[in-house]
Amino acid sequence: MKNKNLPSGTRDELGVQAEVKESIENKLFKNFRNRGFRKLTTPVLEYSDVFQPLNADNYRPYQLLDDQGEPLVLRPDLTLPVARVMATTGVDLPVKWYYGGDVFRVKKQLSGSYNQLTQAGIEIVGYRGLKADWECLDVALSGCREMAIKNVTVELSHAKFVAVVVDQLGLPEATGDSLKQALFNKDLSKFDSLIAPLKQSDFGDFLQEWPWLFGDFDQVMEVVDRLPEIPALQPIISDLQSTAQFINEMYPDDTVTVDLSIPSPQQYYTGMAFRGFTEQSADYLFSGGRYDDLLTNFQKVKTSAVGVAFDVDSLVERTALPADTPQSLIFFNDDQWEAAVETLAKTPNSTLCLTNDREAAKRLAASNGSQLIDLTKQVK
Amino acid sequence: MKRLKIALTKGRTEQQVVPLLEASGINCDGIRNKQRRLIFDEDPRYEIILVKGPDVLTYLNNGSVQIGIVGSDILDEQQNSQYAMLDLSVGKCRFVLASTSDFDPQAHRRKIIATKYPNITKRYFQGIGEDVEIIKIEGSVELAPLIGLADAIVDIVETGNTLRENHLQVYARLQPVNTKLVVNRLALRQYQPQIKQLITNLQRADQQSGQSNLIKE
Repeated sequence: MKNKNLPSGTRDELGVQAEVKESIENKLFKNFRNRGFRKLTTPVLEYSDVFQPLNADNYRPYQLLDDQGEPLVLRPDLTLPVARVMATTGVDLPVKWYYGGDVFRVKKQLSGSYNQLTQAGIEIVGYRGLKADWECLDVALSGCREMAIKNVTVELSHAKFVAVVVDQLGLPEATGDSLKQALFNKDLSKFDSLIAPLKQSDFGDFLQEWPWLFGDFDQVMEVVDRLPEIPALQPIISDLQSTAQFINEMYPDDTVTVDLSIPSPQQYYTGMAFRGFTEQSADYLFSGGRYDDLLTNFQKVKTSAVGVAFDVDSLVERTALPADTPQSLIFFNDDQWEAAVETLAKTPNSTLCLTNDREAAKRLAASNGSQLIDLTKQVK
Repeated sequence: MKRLKIALTKGRTEQQVVPLLEASGINCDGIRNKQRRLIFDEDPRYEIILVKGPDVLTYLNNGSVQIGIVGSDILDEQQNSQYAMLDLSVGKCRFVLASTSDFDPQAHRRKIIATKYPNITKRYFQGIGEDVEIIKIEGSVELAPLIGLADAIVDIVETGNTLRENHLQVYARLQPVNTKLVVNRLALRQYQPQIKQLITNLQRADQQSGQSNLIKE
């Protein structure tokens, strides 16, 4: 009987839970359309080459072979298929897409995580400036607001910050890489031993605090100010600052934090990255960022792009499920079909009762605790 | 302010770490006279629970505790994904490959290795390009080569006394083991000031205890 069980990491969604998910997706899609985004639907199956730029550790795909022996995967991500579409079709730029669907990732057995996740998101292709990043943030935060999710924390980061600073330290490449690894893993013992020779340098003050360089925006910026002047850092800092200001003005109830000690969420990110979460839960509500080099992998022409995706499952988790009130049952004779459908349309939360006789209809209503609307009594 | 929850590995790690926690200003009176209790809240800032080593990571991954104190042997074996932030200077020992005096590491046949740590053993032999058969056993690993269950063992040694008493010798030294302070990734964001304070205090106490908290390579 084993094959009647669900594979580890999958789940069924029944009734209210599945309906709430559908209504959340519909709200998000309607928002996207209202802002002039166009829908892009890509297949669940793709050649594995499409997903080459992903970090294989977190995004292990399910693999299978097509009839020619070519390796196919169930898509572990929805951004790279968009990149594939842009590279292989002559769509005019700039363009704004929205998409929705399931992604599949192999997760550790018995770890309690799911292998099939629902996402809904947008990609803005062909706009170079910060306005495109801000539209993504606006879409994300207005979406949360509409779902009545309050006190969202937006965490900003930047794909280039760590590399730019490490470059300035004048370390041999291998040491620089170890330093980045120790920083990303928050391995303080190793990090401290690697920065020991730099304690007296201009960077000493900053380096000591670097593993703790996340949290309140202004406090983090105070530590960044301890760095000696680095010209390559100026545009990064000013993008972060003006974006924090944008969020504070547009969404004063939400909080902006920044993390300058983490790796970029994907190797292909080139600019700002952002994630939204609330205090109560470990899952991110949305995440996104800018990746201006990704499309060169396909067509050798750099195309600016920025996108954001909602984790629909985590939005569902934060939505109060409506109580499952019993439906009213409409019992009718075979020749009353039209009247029954009319009653159905007039009566909220009702459904046709398909039993053959009245006694069975009564028993069903009693066992469901629902009201029985008996149309057969109206017949002379 | 919410209490930080700490999962501490019971047994030897607990005995070695408690003086360090006390030196960093944490009240551990409850743990010293614990009787049958498993939860200790004598210090108003912390709630300390005592659990088995592998369960420290289960509690930590689940977010039920924010901080775990556990040996790096368990972190390596279970492929930990949380932040191992601090090496503590206690509980230092090492993985070794050991066997009886007639064991020939160069012998050309597929060896049988008994261990409590199959993943670490597998990675070591993969690293040196040798294919071995691994048998997992739960304790008294030294018995395996003596009784003929295995050709050799991979196990942790601290002083080497147990090996000597069983007439086993070391054939290779694998990675070092020490006690680590591990922090749940999300908790580090939610409890940043408290965790930073705890780590700073522990680092100072660890240095004052006369040892460096860095592993000497």
